[in-house]
Amino acid sequence: MPDLPDLDWSDLQLPDVPLPDLPMLDLWGGPAHWAILATLLAALAGLGLTGRSNRLGAWVGVGGALTAVVATLWQLYTLTQIRGSERELGTIGGLALGELEAPLRLLVSWPTALVAVTVAAVALVVQGYARWYLWYDPRYRPFAATVSLFTAAMLLVVHSDDLLLTLVGWEVMGWCSYLLIGHQSTRSAAARAAGKALLVTRTADIGFVLGIVALATGAGTTRTTEVVAHWSDVGASPTLTTALCLLVVGVAGKSALFPFQDWLPDAMEGPTPASALIHAATMVAAGTVVLAQLFDLLVLSGTARTLLAVLACVTMIGAAVLAFAQADLKRLLAWSTVSQVALMLAVLAAATTVTGPDAALQHLVAHAWFKALLFLTTGWLGVLVGGTAMAVVTSGARRYRVLRHRFGWGLLALAGVPPFVGFFSKELILGTAEAGSAGAGGMASVLVLASVGASAPLTAAYCMRAWLVLNRPTAIQGHAAAYHPGPVDRIDDFFDEPQIVQEAEGVERAEAAISSSARMGTSFLMLMTVLGGLVLLLPVWGPQVHLDLQLTLATLLLMAVSALLVRLAAGGVRTRDAAARIPAAASLAAERGLYADTAYRALVATPVLALARAVAWFDDQVLDAWVRGAGVGARLLGRVGDLTSPRRATPALALVLAGVVVLAGIGVMVP
Amino acid sequence: MSGVRADLLALVPDLGAWWYALALAPLLLAAAMLLVVGQWPTRPGHRVVHRTSLVAATVSAIGVAGVAVDRPVVEMSWIPSLGVWFSLRPDGLSVPLLLLTAVVGVVATALHLHPDREVRTVAVDLEDSDPTAPIPVVKGIDVPGLATYHACLQLVLLGALLAFLAGDALLFFVGFELVLVPMWILISRYGDPTSDRDGAAVRFLLVTVVGSSLVLLGILAVATATGSTDLQVWAAQGGSALGRSSQLAVAAALLVGFALKVPVFPLHTWLPWVHATAPTAGSVLLAAVLLKLGTYGMVRLVVPVVPEGFTAWAPLLAGLGVTGIVWASLVCLVERDLKRLIAWSSIAHLGFVVLGIASGTQAGLQAALFGNVAHGLISALLFVVVGGLKHRWGGADLSHGHAALREVTPHLGLALVVGMAASSGLPGLAGFWGEIGSVLAAWSPSPDRPDGWFRGFAVVAAVGGALAVAYTVRVLREVWFGERLEPRIPDAVLTERTALRLLGVLVLLLGLVPTLLLSITAPFVEGVLVR
Repeated sequence: MPDLPDLDWSDLQLPDVPLPDLPMLDLWGGPAHWAILATLLAALAGLGLTGRSNRLGAWVGVGGALTAVVATLWQLYTLTQIRGSERELGTIGGLALGELEAPLRLLVSWPTALVAVTVAAVALVVQGYARWYLWYDPRYRPFAATVSLFTAAMLLVVHSDDLLLTLVGWEVMGWCSYLLIGHQSTRSAAARAAGKALLVTRTADIGFVLGIVALATGAGTTRTTEVVAHWSDVGASPTLTTALCLLVVGVAGKSALFPFQDWLPDAMEGPTPASALIHAATMVAAGTVVLAQLFDLLVLSGTARTLLAVLACVTMIGAAVLAFAQADLKRLLAWSTVSQVALMLAVLAAATTVTGPDAALQHLVAHAWFKALLFLTTGWLGVLVGGTAMAVVTSGARRYRVLRHRFGWGLLALAGVPPFVGFFSKELILGTAEAGSAGAGGMASVLVLASVGASAPLTAAYCMRAWLVLNRPTAIQGHAAAYHPGPVDRIDDFFDEPQIVQEAEGVERAEAAISSSARMGTSFLMLMTVLGGLVLLLPVWGPQVHLDLQLTLATLLLMAVSALLVRLAAGGVRTRDAAARIPAAASLAAERGLYADTAYRALVATPVLALARAVAWFDDQVLDAWVRGAGVGARLLGRVGDLTSPRRATPALALVLAGVVVLAGIGVMVP
Repeated sequence: MSGVRADLLALVPDLGAWWYALALAPLLLAAAMLLVVGQWPTRPGHRVVHRTSLVAATVSAIGVAGVAVDRPVVEMSWIPSLGVWFSLRPDGLSVPLLLLTAVVGVVATALHLHPDREVRTVAVDLEDSDPTAPIPVVKGIDVPGLATYHACLQLVLLGALLAFLAGDALLFFVGFELVLVPMWILISRYGDPTSDRDGAAVRFLLVTVVGSSLVLLGILAVATATGSTDLQVWAAQGGSALGRSSQLAVAAALLVGFALKVPVFPLHTWLPWVHATAPTAGSVLLAAVLLKLGTYGMVRLVVPVVPEGFTAWAPLLAGLGVTGIVWASLVCLVERDLKRLIAWSSIAHLGFVVLGIASGTQAGLQAALFGNVAHGLISALLFVVVGGLKHRWGGADLSHGHAALREVTPHLGLALVVGMAASSGLPGLAGFWGEIGSVLAAWSPSPDRPDGWFRGFAVVAAVGGALAVAYTVRVLREVWFGERLEPRIPDAVLTERTALRLLGVLVLLLGLVPTLLLSITAPFVEGVLVR
């Protein structure tokens, strides 16, 4: 390999551009308030005030998201005008909890503001898309309202400077995902997937709640910046390690890390816009945001970092392998999300104080663009061809050429090919992991570096597989290639080429199927898979990493080799699906997520239910028996008294009664 | 904002002690009137009775609101030889509970009482589902004994208001006891005939009588030691009149007495029975008001009065509280009767409240008081829904096939989702702040508590929070999700919709702006625990 010089990320960053002076509007609250409140009110209004009008519901939902986008963009501008580029905001005022301070404040800094813009923009696209996708759905309005609430919760987590507020957004997101996944509530598969998502994430949240409680009570405040300052002063301690490990467990649940990974692929039972929202900008990404906010504590605890690194690396590699074997395009994308989110969290484990956590947030932003694009395009294709199974979507990008660029760019970005946005973020991740393993990162960084290196060709492999299937020539194109007309020049009318006609029909059919706003949304996302790189190159991101060009070249080479291998394996398969070479048993196991669901049931659900039955039996037969016995005893006593006493009231009893009354009267009347 | 608030408060007329007349007299008058009217040979129609009762509860609610704003103090010598005063003295502890009682009172009197219905003996999914089968009537109709029923509701409200207002231990006890008999009548006479009505009534009577005897014992012990029954005097002395051993004994008697009422594990077994039997309004009052008398008693009569004794028993109390959380939540995973299930979940929520009280910190007490009110609103909401469903289904058994609520009764379905979400501690609804506050407080209890134990309790309570989500998922999956449309049941009627909206808005408001309630209780909590 040629000896290549190291490159500093700061050399690549865009120069500072002088911004025009805009008048600062004197509005109530800050832009963060507006973004969160607009989406929250849109959710409440969407449920309570829109009556039966889907049109009004759509305006409310889209309007809320649009306000959030405008507010978050405005927030970016305000940050350029503030010295220190940080802004603090209050919310409902502090909670009066005595010894414990709970000021419930928000904090805006550059990374969080950029993440907020991404969240709001993806939410806007999803709202517009959902209006089309659920046009005939009688429950469109609750869906739009839930999406709004989901957005509000994520924006709250992003902006939060208070562990309690983080927990609020965190749990609300869990519930929103439950409602969205179970949207088609008449299908039992959707009901099951929704319940599973909520149960698995909430079980992991036991750790999250306890971690937050331990951190907050130790510091005497729930304000995140002060909690971080307090524990940084204290330094590494067993309590801190325990708290952080508990937090990591909670994050692993929400971000679908091993061993909680299985809820996310099942969540595909929800409508496609819901999947796009859950996978791209909210829910699974929330763990990254929270751990980035607590990054200064995470670096203090080697145990927590190692735990996070191991969970993330196992998930990253395992999910990438499983993604390759899925027989459904949506499930392939779901497993790829599992893998990519693990990548974000892995870099948090690998990073050191020198590099900072920004690479994880940059990958979050990049991932949001291309994953939302891929999901929404898949949903579009699913409407056109009637399903998302691999056999059904075969040749989809050829039959409907308008989808071709969307799929192509999305998959290239996912694989991390230059100049797409995924390339930049993965370079940053590699650079951060390398800096960590060369510096103070220790074992965790080395592990992450190796796993990231290994996951790159795997990602390229499943992206290549999906592309080969989607881009398989249609039958007519195949015939045209087989019966090549030869060197004889034929002067044909343009539209007589059956291939051209078919393509034109495909484009027309695809564009007629979708609304213009939904199509524009996907176009915008497609654009962002390229231009998003510029967002990552803004000079406001912190990491000071060196890019090892040798490593980059080696990674790209590995990716190319694995893509080539997939192409070879796909040869000779009718659908050009390389996964058809996998033995049936392995393929089935992969589709069922390596039977993790069975394990959940055997290891958790069944014992808990057995315990519950035992408790119910004990309660009824032992604890309540005392009360029952007392009741019987009292009745028996009463019966005995009844039998032994005379049936008629005796004069003596009347005298006694009269005496009691007189005595009572004297006692009360005479002081 | 504060200017607007001051302007609004200035609009409230200054009625002073007359607010009490407005709050208590309508209930008393209506109760007496209805009791008399119920015995007439020609009884008035059900509309007259229902409206009288509703108007009385509403006027009383206005009076309670006035009391809450003005907080007038009434002191009259009552039994001077015993040093007993008739004193009404609302403060930060009682005002939220008074308002809760007023709101829930209006809701309970507004609900329709339904006559006993034929028991559905064959499981619905086994019989031919007949689209023309009669749909149960949910509007108000003439039920025998309706006047007495409403009189009992008024008396329960009156007793509860009196107990919360009382500034004197004996007056508190009078209110505490006043509730008992009308509630017993509500259960034994108007309860669900298909359930074990006798068993429920006997359980209720036994448990509450034993509880009140213990409470009376405790009150008498403290009264003889301090020579006064004034609660303010008791709190100011802080147990200095009693020795350590007598503090322990008094605290034990009072705590057991109130724990029976709350109820705390393992004294809880009566609650599911009573809830399964009681009419909807009875369940609403029981969960939202009567159980609060127990927690209120703990905070009013135990924590400040015998602090040393309470400190000694606190670890045990907290341990029983968290055991109750997990225990009740586990039972909820397998319980077949929906109404009993909601009762079990009440036990779990009150476990959090007890944990907060036992932690001995301001944060814990604040969380407990918040959780107390939140549980009142949430359980009232859930019992309105579930009581309505039980009437419509002809039984609350979950194992019979039901139409999916989301498909056939969207209003009731939404209310059930909101109620179950709130009860499983979804932030943004009222249940969350009490639960997380209790866990926070248990993790760092006051210095005189064994913090190792309390951390263990915090962990158990957090596990209980996850179990709450598990049974919520179970209930929603069995009742709300699904595609079944038969047997058809009617959606919420106007009274139910109004009641559910009122309670739902309050649950949402407390969840979004918890400072509203916390700022009311903060001065009281500081006063109790600063010493």
